[in-house]
Amino acid sequence: MSTAKPGAAAGPAPVDDVPIPYMQRTRDYYVALGYDDPYRWAHFVEVPFTPLRVPLRQARLGFVTTAAPYRPGAGDQGPGAPYNAAAKFYQLYSASTASAPELFISHVGYDRRHTSAADPNAYFPLRQLRDAVAAGRVGGLASRFHGLPTNRSHRTTLEADVPELLRRCQEDGVEAALLVPS
Amino acid sequence: MSLAARHLEAHGIPTVIMGCAKDIVEHCGVPRLLFSDFPLGNSAGRPFDVESQALTLELALRLLESAPAARTTVQSPIRWSSDPSWKRDYLDLTTLSPETLAERRREFDEVKAVARTRRAESS
Repeated sequence: MSTAKPGAAAGPAPVDDVPIPYMQRTRDYYVALGYDDPYRWAHFVEVPFTPLRVPLRQARLGFVTTAAPYRPGAGDQGPGAPYNAAAKFYQLYSASTASAPELFISHVGYDRRHTSAADPNAYFPLRQLRDAVAAGRVGGLASRFHGLPTNRSHRTTLEADVPELLRRCQEDGVEAALLVPS
Repeated sequence: MSLAARHLEAHGIPTVIMGCAKDIVEHCGVPRLLFSDFPLGNSAGRPFDVESQALTLELALRLLESAPAARTTVQSPIRWSSDPSWKRDYLDLTTLSPETLAERRREFDEVKAVARTRRAESS
């Protein structure tokens, strides 16, 4: 693990050592490719907030991912696979946290130059969550996790996927949720 | 995923997102974000680095417990690399020739067609 070295905080950082401006890069890229109607990311002024009402050590935690189960016949989906739209899913899915299937992220635009998705624990932290439960840090995990489709219109996400996700989380009796986009 | 966090939160379920695309998540506006300044695809920690993955989850859990208000972002102290030059490469236009851009456009149109077919199959 690489953390700041002793004394490193004292010096200024290079001016471009900042979080990548993904929206600007993406806009510029697709304009350069010749598309003239850039993607509009969802944007809100008001943000809801609900404080955690129970101690985490007693809470049941829900878990949501955008990773995809392996889809037979849809081509290479493993570590380092090229972007694979055939591996996408378009319905919210749920699966057991006790016996999770192998999940992959070939269907999304992760940084293929600097990482390879070879370790699922880097995008699907189920092992870490189980460890946190075993250590008493978290009361428990919901019996299932949920897979949220990507590459949807905001409208489909808001009108179909997200209300169904809420319904399932309520059914699971979760008191908080961890959401991990890939 | 940001829209999901907002919806759950609005209906009484506190949420925390772990993510690597700080600007996109903050632009949407979410209750809590644990940001790791890593290449996209590593929201839960560095690959094959159990310590990093455990710390990433622990920071997210502390954020869940202690955020004072919406739009609270915590940045993980873990560095992907001591050399930040990897950040220049994502969709870097400066290295692409017109021919490469045309090829990328052709590939993108193909990918969109595949996605359309998949969506149609699924509906």
